Amino acid sequence: MDMLEKIQVALAELFPETAPLVSQEGEGGQEVPPRESGALVTNFTKYGSHLDVLCRPDQVVSVAQIMDREGYFLEAISGVDWLDKQQFEVLYDYNRLGGKHCRVMVRTRVPRNEPMVPTISAIFPAADWHERETFDFYGVHFQGHPNLIRILLPEDADFHPLRKDYMP
Amino acid sequence: MGEENVPSSIVQFAQLDSLLNLGRANSLWPMTFGLACCAIEMMCTGGSRYDISRFGAEVFRPSPRQSDVMIVAGTINKKLELAVKTLYDQMPEPKWVIAMGNCAISGGPFKVKENYNVVEGADKLFPVDVYIPGCPPRPEALLEGIMTLEEKITGKRRWPRVLPG
Amino acid sequence: MTVPIHLRHDETFVLNLGPQHPATHGVLRVKLTMDGEYIVKAEPVLGYIHRMHEKLAEGGSFAQFMPNTARMDYLHALAFNHGWALVVEKAAGIEVPERAEYIRVITVELNRIASHLLWWAAFLLDLGGFTPLLYAFDDREKIIDLLERVTGSRLTYCYMRFGGVYNDIDEEFIAGTRDFIKRLRGRMPRLYHDLVTHNIILIKRIKDIGIISAEQCRRYGATGPVARGSGINYDIRKNEPYSVYPEFDFDVPVFDEGDSMARYMVRMHEMEQSMRIIEQALDKLPDGPVMGKAPKVLKPEAGYYYSAVETARGSLGHRLVCDGGKNPYKLKLRSPTFSNLSLYGEVAEGMLLADALAFMGSLDLVIPEIDR
Repeated sequence: MDMLEKIQVALAELFPETAPLVSQEGEGGQEVPPRESGALVTNFTKYGSHLDVLCRPDQVVSVAQIMDREGYFLEAISGVDWLDKQQFEVLYDYNRLGGKHCRVMVRTRVPRNEPMVPTISAIFPAADWHERETFDFYGVHFQGHPNLIRILLPEDADFHPLRKDYMP
Repeated sequence: MGEENVPSSIVQFAQLDSLLNLGRANSLWPMTFGLACCAIEMMCTGGSRYDISRFGAEVFRPSPRQSDVMIVAGTINKKLELAVKTLYDQMPEPKWVIAMGNCAISGGPFKVKENYNVVEGADKLFPVDVYIPGCPPRPEALLEGIMTLEEKITGKRRWPRVLPG
Repeated sequence: MTVPIHLRHDETFVLNLGPQHPATHGVLRVKLTMDGEYIVKAEPVLGYIHRMHEKLAEGGSFAQFMPNTARMDYLHALAFNHGWALVVEKAAGIEVPERAEYIRVITVELNRIASHLLWWAAFLLDLGGFTPLLYAFDDREKIIDLLERVTGSRLTYCYMRFGGVYNDIDEEFIAGTRDFIKRLRGRMPRLYHDLVTHNIILIKRIKDIGIISAEQCRRYGATGPVARGSGINYDIRKNEPYSVYPEFDFDVPVFDEGDSMARYMVRMHEMEQSMRIIEQALDKLPDGPVMGKAPKVLKPEAGYYYSAVETARGSLGHRLVCDGGKNPYKLKLRSPTFSNLSLYGEVAEGMLLADALAFMGSLDLVIPEIDR
């Protein structure tokens, strides 16, 4: 548990006003209070990650710098299309290689018609390909990426397949 | 694509043709075109248990210019489509194509309504001679496919067909 | 051995290591900018076997995705089954009986040995040796026979269900597995180590080739034997145990050199450790049902779920986003080889072409898993 507290302390410099909330461990699942940003401790056995951080798109790079400083590695970047809320969500999964493990999930939401997120590929080179894949599937534009071209679909494809309103 | 009556060569011999066909059928040189899971079953067929070299087809050539038969083992993509067509065009006549596995026959498990990237079958690109169903087909099925191709080339089957029962 | 030379960037040509090449990895294209025989820049191009698994997951129910999981990494398909079963069981709160957990571990470890055997055969085929392929496939056929008795398939298994496995194992399987382990242990010293591992040609070809540092592994997110060959002691079965792995006593091989020889030795030792796990699991196998209670139509509650399993290539993650419906809302498959290959561009600079291929073989790539 000390790894979890350590990362909460490190992240507290970014989220001073919302202190980390402890999840309700009950039958009905945890109540996620609507929040703009903040860190939430989650039940690892059920959800698979220790900490759930919701941040604004401009805070993504600072969070990545803190994670890099604390010795985490970037496991995956995924995108989610919330069509009813007209938002894209970008999920970053961080993990530790060896030692006491602690999984942190960082989420950020962007509007669907103008999805722009700053890139973290300068801090984690792993993000290079993951961000290209998220761009390929959803059309999320990562500002500052050195080579934001398609990776899995043909280079001249003009659609983003994993959007919920796409049907070939 | 349907049956095409393509003569095997400009110069037609008479009885010598059947001898040439026998030679071609018993020494089919496949091209290594393993794309996905079916490639592993093709490698198993080349192993020592389901020995494909008994039928003369052990020499897998990497280059299309040196091979007779292209065993399409795996899924063809919209990105790969042009490369596959180029490889087929580069093979010299007489050439044959075996579509191995469900993906090469019709797109297999990826022929769904959300399909945006998979070409539904190798026969959308070029004529296919033998279809081997399975996902992936057993090595014995690939050997049966080779024997069916031999029967197509020579008109006679090397080993009698074993019927169930 | 990469000789540090001054690479001329003005007289280069582009060589296409095309999607169809005799190395049996699948369809990977690498655009190599070469200065003579040395690589100036290597750029892998992906997407030639992209089969839309994530979109298919959203289109069908949870159970309908299980056959798809095996088609991604067909060499260690049972671990992919396991990862998907784990994440859905977490989301829906399904309990798995203990006998099913033991059977899962036994079959996954048998499959891991088969995957490493095929890696070994393909790696040596790339380096030019044909005989090891025949020996490895001989042993692999024995494993496939055992697994076929129980699961019904040879290669792309769809054996696990939410709540357990669908078929029980019998006495013949257990006896056959013990015989197989005895046989492989007998063959390992002479046919695998004397012939290949101590072979001077192999040592000269892969020692000090493709050195990856631990910091590079962390920055690129490499896991599995690639990270363990660079000195990082990270194995999900020990660090974040799942299923019944805490009950078994096994070691995690870690080598510090970071070259292809280290990754080779990691995988050879892992085969031995898998055999140890299987023996212990067979000794401790409890009785009981093999299938827990699972509802007919799964509707997990909304949330973000993650499960991680250790496959033969690294840490496989399933990031599942549920919205309370009966289809997954979003499934992201974190493929280990995708992250392992992303460091290829940086490490292959300045290498000879033949060394770059030996390095690629030591990374153990399965392209349909990268492209999903």
